[in-house]
Parts: sequence; C-alpha cells; structure tokens
Amino acid sequence: MNRFDLPQLGIGVGLRTAHYQTILSEHPAVDWFEAVSENYMQTKGRPLAILDRIAERYPVVLHGVSLSIGSTSPLDFGYLAELKALRDRVSAPWVSDHLCWTGVLGRNTHDLLPVPFTEETLRHIAARVRVVQDFLESPLVLENVSSYVGFAASQMTEARFLAALAREADCGLLLDVNNVYVSARNHGFDPLDYLRNLPMDRVVQLHVAGHTDYGSVVVDTHVGPVPDPVWRLLDEARALGADAPVLLEWDADIPPFDVVHADALRARARWIEPLGVAS
Amino acid sequence: MTAAPVLASLADIQCWFQTVITDPASIEAGAARAGSPIASVVDVATAVGADEGLGVYHHAYRSRLVECLADDFPALRYAVGEGAFDELASRYITRHPSRSTSLNGYGGLFESFLRDQAPGLPSFLGDLAALEWSLVEILHAEDAPPLPVDALAKVSPERWTEARFIPSPTLRLRQFDFPVNDFFQAFKDGLSPREPRPALQHLAVYRQGFTLWRMVLRPSMATLLRSFARGVPLGEALSEVERVSTEPLAAADVMAWFSSWVQGGFFQSIELPGAAP
Repeated sequence: MNRFDLPQLGIGVGLRTAHYQTILSEHPAVDWFEAVSENYMQTKGRPLAILDRIAERYPVVLHGVSLSIGSTSPLDFGYLAELKALRDRVSAPWVSDHLCWTGVLGRNTHDLLPVPFTEETLRHIAARVRVVQDFLESPLVLENVSSYVGFAASQMTEARFLAALAREADCGLLLDVNNVYVSARNHGFDPLDYLRNLPMDRVVQLHVAGHTDYGSVVVDTHVGPVPDPVWRLLDEARALGADAPVLLEWDADIPPFDVVHADALRARARWIEPLGVAS
Repeated sequence: MTAAPVLASLADIQCWFQTVITDPASIEAGAARAGSPIASVVDVATAVGADEGLGVYHHAYRSRLVECLADDFPALRYAVGEGAFDELASRYITRHPSRSTSLNGYGGLFESFLRDQAPGLPSFLGDLAALEWSLVEILHAEDAPPLPVDALAKVSPERWTEARFIPSPTLRLRQFDFPVNDFFQAFKDGLSPREPRPALQHLAVYRQGFTLWRMVLRPSMATLLRSFARGVPLGEALSEVERVSTEPLAAADVMAWFSSWVQGGFFQSIELPGAAP
C-alpha cells in the first residue's frame, strides 16, 4: 500500500478512441481505465459523453499531458479548474501528470520536455506542486518521462531529483518503467540503480508500454506489446516495494482492443492474481 | 578559444530549448536563433548524441501537430496529397503555434489559413476544410435535449407564425461553392474522387447522440434554417424564403422538412412570445 492510501485497482488499460465502440458494446473485463485528461477538456460533446458512460462501469484515473508543472510560465488556473471538475465528474481516485514542461511564453509544444535537475528546478517545481495540490485538494501524482537529452547544468540524477521532489512537495509518483528503460539506454545509467533511489511508498501507479529501438537512440513510442526488458523492470520495481496498480499504454499502430487487453491480462496473471487482490 | 558558459537558469534553458525544437528548419538554426551553442545547454556526454537527442524533440514537435491536423482533415489530406498536406500543415504550425492545453481546437484556423495565407490553392480546398472542421465542432459541441417529435403538434396553428425554432448547439449550417459533401462522401466510401466543378451546395452538419450526420439542403431549406439561426420567427422566415427563393414553396414540402429536421434533432426548443421558457 502507498502512503496516500490510494487503492490497488489492478491492471488497467489506457483509454483510446479506437476502442470506444468495443468497450461500450462488449464491456470487456478490465480493472480500470486511464484517460488522457486533455482529451476530455475544452469539449462538451461526444468525448465527454463517452467518458461518462465508461466511468459508470469502470474506475477511471485521469492522466494529464499539459499541466506543465516544470514550466517557468505561470500555472494555468483555468486549466486546473477544468481538470478538477473533470476529476469530480468521473470520480477519478487520483490525477497524474508528468515531471516535465510543455511550453513557455504562451506556447504549448504538446511534448513532455525534460527539466534540468538542479536545486533551482527542485525548489521551483516543489512550490508549484504544492500550489496544485492545494487547488485540487488531493495529492498530485507525477510521472518520470522518457528523455533524449540531459542538461549541462544538472546537479543530480533524475531518480534523486524525483525522490527529493516527492519528499519536499509531498506528492505521489507514477513510475513508468518503460520510461526508465528508455532513458537508461539513452543516457547510459543503470535502471536498477534508478529504481533503488526512488521512494517506493510514494508510487501510486505504474506504467508499462513498448518503445522503438533505433540503435543509437530508443524512443518512447508506446508501440507494440510490452517488451520483456520492461516487464523485468516492473518485476524489479515490485520487488522493491512498488505495490501499485499497473497501466498498459499502447498509442501507436493501435490494434483491436482484444490484442491490447491480452497484454493487460498477461500482466494481471503475473502480478495481480498471485496476490489475491480483488478488483 | 574558450567554451561558452553553461546556461544555468531554468527560464533561460526553457526559452532556448523551445526555440531550438520548434525551429521550422533545424536544431542548428534554432540554436543560432536562441543565441547559445548546443554544448552550453545540453549534456554532450550522454549515450545519445546531443544533436540526435534534440532531433527527437524537433521531429516530435512538428509531427505531433501534423498528425493532429491529419486526423481532423483526412479528406483534405487526400485531396492535396500527403506530402503537400504535411507541408501545408507545417507552415500552419509555424504561423499558428498551439497556445492551448488541448489539441481539440487546434485546427480551427486551418480553413482561413488555406484561404488567406496559402496562395495558389484551389478554393475547393477551403470548402472541404470548412466541412471537415464543422464535423470537429459538432463532435465537441454540448448536447442539448432535442425538441420532442410531438412538439410541433402542441403549438396551436394560429401561433405558428410567431414561433421561433431554436437550433441545437450540435447543428452547423454551411454554404459551399463546391459540392464538397459529395467529394467527402466518396472519400469516405473509399473511392478516389477528383476535384469537383463549382456548384453551390448547402449543407447541414449535425450530431445525434454519438453519430455525426450531414444533410444536403435545398436553397429554400437553407434560407429557412439560417433565418431560424438568426432568431427570426416562422412567419417572417417563410416570407423571406418566398421573397428570395426561385423554387415554389409548397406547404406539404415545408411540413416534410420540419418533420425531418425535428427527427434529426436540429432544434432544441420552440419559443413563443409570452410563453414560459
């Protein structure tokens, strides 16, 4: 159990438009869904109506991509108000986003951009996380991102930065083991060392996904079934105490739902059923 | 020669990084514009080279937004060809960078961009973009309970002329210089439509529940619906149709129109002067 007493939901699947019809008509046996928050914001139409229908039947967790917690631009309280309303609408047990920034000077690149791991960044983001948590009146859960560059100014490793941030801001963590794998390959660090430096009692959710290995760089494409090295990292994270619900992401060349579901069921058989967790 | 000082402040790093990865030409051009060399910002000692790592972000920025536009304008992409579409989209991205936390409305200026800022394009493409964006708009428009099918019968005939038909938020009325609906339907059917010859086309684009629909309108129908959208009561709207229309207006036709419009959820309410809302 994590320190926030957030529930062990089991094995979830990322909610994607291509699967709406199957989910609504066949009601597949999925423990929970993770919805990308922004897909259901700045809309009052069909996406929201579909999310309502899904939330009537399944637990739905919200996962954002535009909070831009690491940006030096001001926090967008209009965005936060809409996010909070959406969370309440679908009774999401928690809201997550990424340890990243998405833009400055009024622009949004819609990418999860890395931050330099400095004392200045740590103080800046910790203060913003506290503001967001006060506004949302709940813990914010932040995910480690895949990255392709580091910064000359960085003063600490990403894992130590995350641990310090979680402690200073008292926030939760979403540990994406695929992102750990991707960044470890790209930056040449030891993924197990990374995991050992994280406070696992703050991990309230885990992500697994596929990636694309181009040889000289590994890119977090969320394509294909989850590869074995990522499953093994998940094993390691769980052995280190990350007893949290697992979410399977599949975003590129999205296959029919039953293919994605099969990967989720594989995870369920591997981790959830041996624990005897009801869902 | 001494190395450039390391860019250390978070704000400076983010301005630099954004300038580099959004540069329309290259990361090198972006770094030159941003005023600091790559090695003064990015750790060049990692397994992935700094140029290749920045290149991932540079490529992802533009390709994500191009993909967003391609999702919203699939028939347009077919009409201009994938390569030309991606080039147009890239120019749009440069001119109209996203300033929103959501991509739902990102393509909202694409039609006007095509018409006003992409000279030389056939105007048919602007019409096609307008049709496809109408579909996006009604996808995201708020549902309103549709007017019940028996609502018309509940209005006493002597008050019909005063009745105002309030359109549903999920209805859009469009007038095109080209028969883009035919082109769009042929594209959806997997055919290979060619650019059509000019011909006026009026179209209602609407959503019922989760389903998006299109209805080609006769000019009289379009005039009547547009009058309703401006808040004109039925009697005055019909007079306007008779004044501008070149086609005869039969009462039976009008009743049939209303029947199909009400069944299609075109209206959310009928307002009568003095009646409770």
